[in-house]
Amino acid sequence: MKKLNRLGWAEGIAVSAFGVHTGIRVSTAGVLPRVLPLLPPGWKKSRRTTVQRLYSLVVPGTSQRAGLRRMNILYEDNVRIARDTDLDQVLAALETDLHRYTAEAAPSMTFLHAGVVGWQGRAILIPGRSLSGKTTLVREMLRLGATFYSDEFAVVDDFGMVHPFSRPLGIREDSTFAQTKYSAETFGAASGEKPLPLGTVVLCKYKAGARWNPASLSPGLGALELMGNSIAVRTEPQHTLRRIQELVKGVVFLKGARGEACESAASILNIATTDIGRETE
Amino acid sequence: MKEQQNPKARVDCLSREFGDETLVYDKQRNVGHCLNSTAAAAWKLCDGNRSTSEVAGILTQQLSAPVDESLVRLAVEELAKARLLVEPEAPRRRTSRRDVIRTLGIAGAIALPLVTSLVAPTPARAASCLKNGQPCGSNAQCCSGKCGTGGHCGA
Repeated sequence: MKKLNRLGWAEGIAVSAFGVHTGIRVSTAGVLPRVLPLLPPGWKKSRRTTVQRLYSLVVPGTSQRAGLRRMNILYEDNVRIARDTDLDQVLAALETDLHRYTAEAAPSMTFLHAGVVGWQGRAILIPGRSLSGKTTLVREMLRLGATFYSDEFAVVDDFGMVHPFSRPLGIREDSTFAQTKYSAETFGAASGEKPLPLGTVVLCKYKAGARWNPASLSPGLGALELMGNSIAVRTEPQHTLRRIQELVKGVVFLKGARGEACESAASILNIATTDIGRETE
Repeated sequence: MKEQQNPKARVDCLSREFGDETLVYDKQRNVGHCLNSTAAAAWKLCDGNRSTSEVAGILTQQLSAPVDESLVRLAVEELAKARLLVEPEAPRRRTSRRDVIRTLGIAGAIALPLVTSLVAPTPARAASCLKNGQPCGSNAQCCSGKCGTGGHCGA
């Protein structure tokens, strides 16, 4: 870390998001504005002099030297976590790591890896790993009138309420895994701001040609699936289980293979509407 | 030959109830288990002092339905497989699920004990990962689980 500290840093910022304090410094002036949109939603400048994690981004200056590959290098504390000639790629690695660390270290919230939309005053949760089709399903629900909460994390508080983690949706438009960012407004949807109680959990995987015909899952098995998508269950098992217990009270769990997202999205919203109606009767 | 020990539930696990099911988290192995109603009821009664027949007697009262000892033995077997019981010094007698079904009949009043287990993910596994071609510093960062020598995620 001492070596890194000696490099000389042009700009830096300490931020706080979900109670986690992180710092980011860059070696070249003018790069920090590109970092700010990547910070976790709801971030604020922190006045703390110490942070829990410090990211250092070394960006080569403008001077050219023949035969030298101009590498952008990202460090998490003193560990190098990304290195590339393309700054955008390194910034993507910064965003992924920063969000994951925030999710892991947040003291009063449990983060579940899931897409979330709001529907008739309740949240619909779509847990799943990367490339499981969460964002596609979220996008289709937004087109059908749902409110955007997240395509990355469901943030759950002590009372089992789901908070937004809204950042632009990262949509893969070809097989290269590269993502294009779209705001929820692009799909005619609003972004939710207030925490919502959970209504429905959808556990699904895309299978070409499959017809969405889900089975319902018991609360215990559903909770186990949520545990399997929680970021900090290994470090904070007690808090995680307690918050999941609060979260799933009266919740409907649906599990099955889904075909095209547009068909399953409509069906999920229909089921959610029916369940909300049944509850209010 | 050592005497068969009474089953004893581990006390170092976290547990939470979800209706009549119980979610148990094994902090040592980082594994979550969902115990269905029968397995959960048996697990709670395994204190190391009660024999399987005594547990069956108590369950019969609790559930207001006859509970055969073979059902409790099967529950103990399931719980032991999930490592939710203190390891006995002598190996337990094995009970097959098929034998229990044969004894009780398919349409028994009590559900067969069932333990469903899931390994808890590391933060890196649970959160979004880097796609192929993106720069990385360790295997854990990549969706493919492989950070190549050039410092990029690969297949």
